[in-house]
Amino acid sequence: MSNVTQSRPRLWLETLLQVLAQWSGGGAAGQPAGARDWGLPTRRSEAWRFTDLRCLTQLDPTRLHTGTAAPHWPEAFRQAPSGQVSPRRLSLQLDGRGHWLSPQGEPPPWPHGLMPLPTGDIAPGQVLRTVIPSGTLLPLGAQLNGVTPGPSLGLQVSGPDPVHLDLAIQAEHAQAWLAPHVLLVLQPGARLCLNWHVAATAQAAVLPMVEARLGLGAQLEEATMAWGCPGAAFLGGSFIHQSPRSVYRRTNATWGWGLSRDEPFVRQSQGQAETHLHGLAVARGQSLLDTHSTVYFDGPAGRLRQRHQALADDRGHSVFNGRVVVPRVAQQTDASQLSRNLLLSTKARIDTKPQLEIVADDVQCTHGATVSCLQADELFYLQSRGIGRDQASRLLQRGFCEEILQRLPQSALLWPSLQSLLETPVPDQP
Amino acid sequence: MTSTETTPFREAPIQPGDLLLSIENLHACVEENEILRGVSLQIRAGEIHALMGRNGSGKSTLSKVVAGHPAYTVTAGSIHYRGQDLLGLAPEDRARSGVFLGFQYPVEIPGVSNLEFLRVSCNARRQHRGQEELDTFAFEDHVRETMAIVQMDPAFLERSVNEGFSGGEKKRNEVLQMALLEPLVAILDETDSGLDIDALRIVANGVKKLALPTTATLLITHYQRLLDAITPDFVHVMAAGRILRTGDKDLAMALEQRGYDWIEEADGSDTLQP
Repeated sequence: MSNVTQSRPRLWLETLLQVLAQWSGGGAAGQPAGARDWGLPTRRSEAWRFTDLRCLTQLDPTRLHTGTAAPHWPEAFRQAPSGQVSPRRLSLQLDGRGHWLSPQGEPPPWPHGLMPLPTGDIAPGQVLRTVIPSGTLLPLGAQLNGVTPGPSLGLQVSGPDPVHLDLAIQAEHAQAWLAPHVLLVLQPGARLCLNWHVAATAQAAVLPMVEARLGLGAQLEEATMAWGCPGAAFLGGSFIHQSPRSVYRRTNATWGWGLSRDEPFVRQSQGQAETHLHGLAVARGQSLLDTHSTVYFDGPAGRLRQRHQALADDRGHSVFNGRVVVPRVAQQTDASQLSRNLLLSTKARIDTKPQLEIVADDVQCTHGATVSCLQADELFYLQSRGIGRDQASRLLQRGFCEEILQRLPQSALLWPSLQSLLETPVPDQP
Repeated sequence: MTSTETTPFREAPIQPGDLLLSIENLHACVEENEILRGVSLQIRAGEIHALMGRNGSGKSTLSKVVAGHPAYTVTAGSIHYRGQDLLGLAPEDRARSGVFLGFQYPVEIPGVSNLEFLRVSCNARRQHRGQEELDTFAFEDHVRETMAIVQMDPAFLERSVNEGFSGGEKKRNEVLQMALLEPLVAILDETDSGLDIDALRIVANGVKKLALPTTATLLITHYQRLLDAITPDFVHVMAAGRILRTGDKDLAMALEQRGYDWIEEADGSDTLQP
């Protein structure tokens, strides 16, 4: 294929794949099988029609690196030696070579109930392929993560007592390309709280990916705070395989990125499981924040509670596509999905689409989507108590965000970066 | 109408009998519909007024116009508060300067903590009065003490503003806000509606405690039962956007017994001006 005839995105991808292949010690010939066959999605594709990838393709593949900076851990995390805040809590950060280390730079001291996956037990990509139907193109973030070399964090969780795992990534240098991969196997009845803190303060790309297999009755709570800057791109994905009676709760807050594409994909393999998805996207400036979620019920009596809230101001753009698949085998599914959106500027934009594909006839599936500006009666109520209009507006925006943020674990709220989402705390000065 | 920069100052002392609120020939409409058609009313420090009238007579509209609700347009007349043109002030400036509206239907605001809302409101008023603002600790002590006035459970501080509150709890929260803001003129729009007997007694006691010789209260109500607990100095009857008759507490008793028809037929012929 001649470069002359290639489009710029195609050329960009070719170059990127060559660079990533060199990182893994290969060269162009070392590209993963099939990698040369896929291309960057275009806006002609339904799933990408609102999402412009320029923020990603403006990165120069020849200058990419894996340099990270030390995250600004909250005091409560830093006090602990070796990242182990308590016997059942572990805090890790990504180093410049794709390794996870404690904030003090040491290898992880594994807490009780959490240990590396035995070698050869399960390989990265294996859970993903049980979640995404074969023959289906993988999400772009997962594809790019999959071809980026670097050891993944493979962990086995056991025991009924909850284990807490805090992961932090900080991209502070331009052209950083960070693709952390976390593979989790939760034994039956095991409980894990996984907290991500992802930050980018330079033109960079962060592509975190989680694969998790939840055994019978296992519980995984995944909380993500992902905040970036105008030149930064975030392509995240969680691929969750749930056994019966398992519970998966995902809460994420995303703001500040030039481009964010978040693609959680959950499969309840035999139904009878619970999935809770709560997302907050705050699109200010020219931020484009896109969430495409899929929940697939492969058995009866599964339950889904999903709520996505987005706030778009300035020229910000929020996209939400919530796909729920209920085939005939998934009788007595109970699913609800709500998309609430605040549109604060005439140049901001919200695109929201529920996508319920229901074949089973004995189910209860609801969905709703609202787009509104700040409520005049709420504004007046606050003003009538002496609160100025601007301050009242900030309070209401903050309240809108809090509806999702209050679902984050307390430890996630310790990160000072949360204040950049809420802008400034509401001052007393009217 | 925009909010003005607030310059801290000490509110001038008020003597009982000082004119606080003066409404003259007020006309107001919402969209194209004229609701108020020449309301005139004067309220002095130390007075409790009751405003009664049929549904749709304009009572709530009057309260919202005084508070500065943006949906209403004043087409004629004036409102002066302590000699100042109230209509020139933004709603927040009216509140900071001491005008309070207790809502008939308090608004639920999900996600906004009641405690933070109360603290920011209280400090806005305090700053206007030239008082030191309360930090979070001092305010929490203050609000917990104040909640005793309406026998309100402190657990409501942790919840979102009015969210999931029962009707009675919402009204108690309104009176709590009134107690924290220490208004000079409090307009309570059907604060008694939806309350059971005990809740009515608690709310009425709270309002009575807050009615001082240097403040004024305007109670909008349909029922004598509130006026059994709080004796008004003046009772006004409103119909078709005007105050048709003014009397004392006996007028409220007569309304309870005879309804409104006789007032509208007489059309204010024996009005007692306050």
